[in-house]
Amino acid sequence: MERAIKEEKRVFMTGNEVVAWGALAAEADIMYGYPITPQNEIMHYWTRLAPKHGKKFLQTEDELSAGFTTIGGVLAGRRAFTATAGPGNVLLQEPVTMAEMMRLPMVVCIQQRGGPSTATVIYSQQEVNLTTYGGNGESLRIVYSTANHQELYDYTIKSFNVAWRYRFPTFILGDGYQAKMREPLVMYNPREKGVEMVPPESFVGNKGSFGIDREPVHLRNAFSMEEELYEVVMEHIDDYNRITPQIVEYVSLGCEDADLVIVSHGIVSRAAVAAQEMLRREGYRIGYFRPITLRPFPVKALRKVCKSTPRFLVVESAYGQLARLVKDALFGLEAKMDEIFMPGLGITSEKIVGHVKKKSELKV
Amino acid sequence: MSVSGTSMPKSWNLKTKPHKFCPGCGHGLVLKVLGQAIDELEIQEKTVFGCDIGCSLLAWDFFNVDSVQTHHGRTTPVITGIVRANPSLIGIAYMGDGGGYAIGSQHLVNAANRNDKIFVLLVNNTNYGMTGGQMAPTTLPGQVTETSPYGRDIEETGAPTLGPEMVAAITSETAYVARGTVSNMRQMKSFIKKALKNVVNGSGFSFVEVLATCPTNWRTNARDTWKFLEKDMAKYFKVGELKTLPTKRED
Amino acid sequence: MSRIIEAYVGEYASGKSENAVNRALELAKQGRKVVLVDLDLVEPFYTLRPLKNKLENMGIEVIAWETKDTFGLGEAGYVIKPEMRWALRRKGEIIFDVGYGVQGFKIFNLVEGALEEENLKIYAVVNISRPMTASVEDIIAYLNLFGRVDGIINNSHLGELTDIEIIEEGVQVIKEVSKITGIPVIAISVEKNLEFLAGKTSFEGFPVRFLERYMPQSLW
Repeated sequence: MERAIKEEKRVFMTGNEVVAWGALAAEADIMYGYPITPQNEIMHYWTRLAPKHGKKFLQTEDELSAGFTTIGGVLAGRRAFTATAGPGNVLLQEPVTMAEMMRLPMVVCIQQRGGPSTATVIYSQQEVNLTTYGGNGESLRIVYSTANHQELYDYTIKSFNVAWRYRFPTFILGDGYQAKMREPLVMYNPREKGVEMVPPESFVGNKGSFGIDREPVHLRNAFSMEEELYEVVMEHIDDYNRITPQIVEYVSLGCEDADLVIVSHGIVSRAAVAAQEMLRREGYRIGYFRPITLRPFPVKALRKVCKSTPRFLVVESAYGQLARLVKDALFGLEAKMDEIFMPGLGITSEKIVGHVKKKSELKV
Repeated sequence: MSVSGTSMPKSWNLKTKPHKFCPGCGHGLVLKVLGQAIDELEIQEKTVFGCDIGCSLLAWDFFNVDSVQTHHGRTTPVITGIVRANPSLIGIAYMGDGGGYAIGSQHLVNAANRNDKIFVLLVNNTNYGMTGGQMAPTTLPGQVTETSPYGRDIEETGAPTLGPEMVAAITSETAYVARGTVSNMRQMKSFIKKALKNVVNGSGFSFVEVLATCPTNWRTNARDTWKFLEKDMAKYFKVGELKTLPTKRED
Repeated sequence: MSRIIEAYVGEYASGKSENAVNRALELAKQGRKVVLVDLDLVEPFYTLRPLKNKLENMGIEVIAWETKDTFGLGEAGYVIKPEMRWALRRKGEIIFDVGYGVQGFKIFNLVEGALEEENLKIYAVVNISRPMTASVEDIIAYLNLFGRVDGIINNSHLGELTDIEIIEEGVQVIKEVSKITGIPVIAISVEKNLEFLAGKTSFEGFPVRFLERYMPQSLW
């Protein structure tokens, strides 16, 4: 069997390929998937790579099945994952809630497309609501929003490790632009970088004999009484809250003296960082904050930033989905919010710079 | 009616007995036969039993085998996912007619068509029992349920789903498909055993529908329950094997 | 009558379209009539469609859908235009930009007269920074999938991180591939803003094509 990733190597790739290679580097065993643009090449490349490395693939009948078969793969003790977008993400929410309730480490890559409905196959950041809080219940999951191909690779690997360590469903949240863009990155073998690869464990079908070295397991997600459910859910919530400080990730640039902080996530961050730099060069005191984990959200860090900053500007390719998370995090503070909401449209640094100069009445 | 022994199967979980199915319910009989088949094939420790929502849910701790309770209709993909990831396990997906023929029909059709090496065991009692006796895909013409209070009108709601016939039509030659009934335990056991063997051998998809009683929702006494099963249901659902392995004629 | 008919094939994101566009424009600058045909039915993302008007203003005829005429893109699939099927009946030099991989290549089964056309040259564009075509063995295995390749173009680069080392490494790998397979090296493609590097190496004597970048303007 060929070893998946040998020495560190600089490569030129599209984002979907990066996810397939990242999963390979993360020692994923099996992918279950259903075609939907713009995530198809994750499957195309996984199916090309998988047999060479003793890995498997199952093309399912829909995303419900992709999600539930992924759960099956996890139950069997394999690093299993799926990928989808848009309406497929809607269907996937059902299996994700089962994973949440049963603490099954399923890994999902979402490449956001335009919505609602069929809309476009191209791009948006409109699947933030769905990916962070889409399930019935409390939506205890981990969501990494990436901004470039290196991150897609790094966080694909990380997602498997975080999922298997903490046993919450874990998402890599990309978008159609990231899926199709081409750019260089460094591929590496995480073990050789000293990354601890969290080993998967079987939930069912373990070796051994009943009554001697193991007992049969009975796994369920249904409960009879309110009190019983409350206890189980609160235990999960406590776990989630306890690990939150270890999970949250964010980027904060020049916020200390800022009159205004630009808040964005994912690929829009590229424009936002460029805008912040341009405005700083012109003498504006602008900060920049980017949550990498949208769930759990870096509440503490953002509150700290906005305590000393009178205004913040939320920029996203959706109508206020990131803003909702931000407002929730900042409840009670006096910072004022401004917004650039462009559902389904890409956002340039010029757009942000123009907006800041025109609307925010900031002084140089 | 034949009686296949009085002792409890070894693979049963005694701590959860007596079970919680209604008196006269067919599930207990089906699960008894399944337990005997698991015992006789000596596969208890490598079996994964998945159960659906609906009355099949009550089987979640029925056996001393690794078990997982899933969502309504989704037992087929969960068991498929397990066996695809670890083909050394024997996967059994246990469900009712609603789970298999309505909300999970796309999974049944596609797992059958892909010839996934799993055993789907479906209990047909012509209604949604757990949710209070609504019309199911298998409800008989004219049958009164909570959502067909004037009797099922097949012009409006379709005729009873013929599951094994459909599965037989779309599966490969290595599949096993049969319809049994709780009124013939010996025959049902032979079907379930063959279905399991077909999966143990890794040869193909196995599907058994079992006609079962639901006196609680049918609101029938013992005699009428049996009449409904053996007379009314038998009119629409033909008991027997629809697809068997050509090379293995053993029982 | 001999005319130039070239098809650019290869791995996903290898630079097929960029090389095809530049080649078409180069021929147009020589005063030739050029038809550029977008035959990428595999991937509706990075195609010539958004560039059609711009390229036509630069003097080449482009057979491609326009964005406003497409519906659903990746949902509806990519639909072949009748003009694409009959492209070889046009006058002038013809450059085909073909979808990736063998599936992309098979589109020639639909182009009237393509496989009998004696002037047709099928050029594989190769970037060794693409993981599936990173080594001599991988590239040979990849080229074999096509059944027929008439020439190789080295397009090894790393986007904005391209340096002379990656180009030269690509040249060495392609040279070796050419030696083993007997398929000639048609050109070494180098991005125009790296033209200054050209004095520092001979690229093993292979012809060099300097590429203007058009494709980044063609997002969907």
